[in-house]
Amino acid sequence: MREIDLFTEFSQKAGTEIDPKNVKIDDTTLRDGEQTAGVVFANDEKIHIAKMLDNVGVNQIEAGIPAMGGDEKKAIKKIASLGLNCSVLGWNRAVKSDIDASVECGVDAVAVSISSSDIHIEHKLRKSREWVLESVKTCVDYAKSFNLYVSANAEDASRSDMEFLLKFARIARDAGADRLRYCDTLGIFDPFETFMRVKDIIDIIGIDIEMHTHNDFGMAIANAIAGIKAGATYVNTTINGLGERAGNAAFEELVMALKYIEGVDLGFNTTLFREMSEYVARASSRILPTWKPIVGGNLFVYENESKASGVLANPETYELFKEKDVGLKRKIILGKYSGVNTTIYKLNTLGFKISREEAEELAEVVRDKSVSLKRALFDSEIIDTYKSYKGRGHIKANKKKVNQAESERSNVSSKK
Amino acid sequence: MSVAKSKRYVNIIDTTLRNGEQTAGVVFSKHEKIRIAKMLDEIGIPEIEVGTPSLGSVEREIIKEIVEDKFNCRIFVYCEAEPENIKYAARCGAKNVVINISTSDIHLKEKYKKNRTWVINKLRETIRTARQNNLNFIVSAEDATRSDLEFLLKIVSLAKKKGAYRFRICDTVSKFDPFRTFLYINTISSAIDFPLEVYNHNDFGMATANGMAAIRAGASSLVVSVGGLGEGTGNAAMEEIVMALRYLESIELGIKTSKFREIAEYVARASSRAVPIWKAIVGTNVFAHESGIHADGVIKNPRNYEVFDPGEVGLARQLVVGKHSGSHTILHKFKEFGIELTDKQANEILALARAMSIDLKRSLFDKELMYIYNEYKKRKISKREEQNPED
Repeated sequence: MREIDLFTEFSQKAGTEIDPKNVKIDDTTLRDGEQTAGVVFANDEKIHIAKMLDNVGVNQIEAGIPAMGGDEKKAIKKIASLGLNCSVLGWNRAVKSDIDASVECGVDAVAVSISSSDIHIEHKLRKSREWVLESVKTCVDYAKSFNLYVSANAEDASRSDMEFLLKFARIARDAGADRLRYCDTLGIFDPFETFMRVKDIIDIIGIDIEMHTHNDFGMAIANAIAGIKAGATYVNTTINGLGERAGNAAFEELVMALKYIEGVDLGFNTTLFREMSEYVARASSRILPTWKPIVGGNLFVYENESKASGVLANPETYELFKEKDVGLKRKIILGKYSGVNTTIYKLNTLGFKISREEAEELAEVVRDKSVSLKRALFDSEIIDTYKSYKGRGHIKANKKKVNQAESERSNVSSKK
Repeated sequence: MSVAKSKRYVNIIDTTLRNGEQTAGVVFSKHEKIRIAKMLDEIGIPEIEVGTPSLGSVEREIIKEIVEDKFNCRIFVYCEAEPENIKYAARCGAKNVVINISTSDIHLKEKYKKNRTWVINKLRETIRTARQNNLNFIVSAEDATRSDLEFLLKIVSLAKKKGAYRFRICDTVSKFDPFRTFLYINTISSAIDFPLEVYNHNDFGMATANGMAAIRAGASSLVVSVGGLGEGTGNAAMEEIVMALRYLESIELGIKTSKFREIAEYVARASSRAVPIWKAIVGTNVFAHESGIHADGVIKNPRNYEVFDPGEVGLARQLVVGKHSGSHTILHKFKEFGIELTDKQANEILALARAMSIDLKRSLFDKELMYIYNEYKKRKISKREEQNPED
């Protein structure tokens, strides 16, 4: 029972109001998004995405990894010179030469990234904790000497020993880091533990925190929000959640969840979301699923009678925001789950007036047809169906016979 | 990893065949419905929701066939609260039904155009019919998260008094985050001692997190679907919930997870919706590593970037060579092809591979890597010949 009390307490604490001024978005579509296996953006695409992000209102863009050199460096240099409103950040390993490459690109901010979990330190870096702390200190110091905004990234923070993570944060802070990026690299925590860990870092060390979450267990957004509730001030997002493995916290989902669930309006121009998502989907050669939260093409398409009737009466019965808020369109389609209301509505929009009785019969024809075609009907098929239904006229008599036959059959089987 | 390590049992009820099929544009054939039911049963899903009897005779025939099959799982059918719908369910031979009714004022006013008393009466009437037909029933409150809490508690009490099997709380419009879900479920379960089930939508990408929060708050069951298939953004994905319970909460349902990829693919084909390659748990890209840092980490020890082994969900690990690759990946990749490279060779091939990847705007196929290698070798040889013409 103590556990329950504990979480109730956390939940209540977590329910407090958040000031929109304290929440900033650092979008990493161009860095972690592009790092996704198989994804490569052309430089022109990178520049276009940077402009879209700036235009929609993000606070910072993580433009890429300058140390990769070549084309990557050219793109970052170009983005840094566009005169955007947002800050432009270059990603670096905790290595001085990486930071030099960032400086050469003219960015105003850098991330210095190094693992803080023992499993990474031992198996990936093959170094010691002391070595990690030393690298953080040296590199943050070095980056600060160029007057840059510095984010110290604790990679795999969620699997790190808390004591060590606090040490990491303290050293970063003392070296002058402007924030600590808390990386849930494997997406392995749930919102409750994320909340507690982030709150501890803020309470004990007093450094700005940025949330970097992954969606391996479907919790990227929830964890980012948990971090904000605990006092984090930045969230690292990507458009469409593009990112390694199952991806990152999706930019559009986070902004809308903050607005409609948490009551925190960041003032972004959300009507551009669909367009941005489509662009990134094409540039990354990844189709936007029709059911993608916030921007999926089918989100405002209704077939099921119960839901559609509600929405036709008042969209608020099933929608927290409007289709045009995110650049989508509402539509009613007819299929296996259609009924009277949707049929009348649909036929009206196609230019036919029909009675409730007719609609009832037509809906049944539509349902059968949809089952045999294994999909919803196209508008032209609905018109065809309606016309041939009108032509027949004696459908009612047939239906009665079918019903009779069915009830006889079920009588027989129930006697068995 | 979790603070609250509970050893308790959690139920899941899969609604791929009901709410999954209810998705705009999705229709399963009879054969597919039966196959999906079998697959879910075989991997050990304890309960499944298979359809809506009131839809028509075709649907009823399918339900009847599934009900008559000898499955281990408990089979539910879905009815909007209406005595007539219960009769349809009984006619299919169903033993368990979900009785659904909206409880929020906005739904009552705008959808039903009725008042709260009407809801209570409709529910009583429907339950009576269910009991007369000896049906086991779950009462489901649609839009529960926007309902007046006092009224909702009244409905829960009614369900309990009338002998319901469980009570379902639907977050129909995805109104909650995990913290609010926790408080809400905790409040209800503290007020009335009755098994609760939670149904989530994914409108803001939090269906799984909300489901897990509900379990923490004391709910005993979650409604899930394969791949999260469902209306709008869909529901909590079965595979995510099962793996999150296993790895985040140490709650083991004993489900055969190695079949997850296969089931996800089958449902994807039957619903004409491809599994996105980045789909959590079952996407083919979830165990694909390209960036130098990640791939290098995985080669050294998979636990660096993987919580569980890909085989556990029926997937395979892949190392992808592209713009972000490092030389370790090249060494490893060629070792797989049976070619041992020196560090210097790996670095030179890496530069060629990166350039090609940027040019092609994608990662490289294994074949393309071999072409690069062959050309590279040829060039080396001709260079050597140039340098030592007498050889």
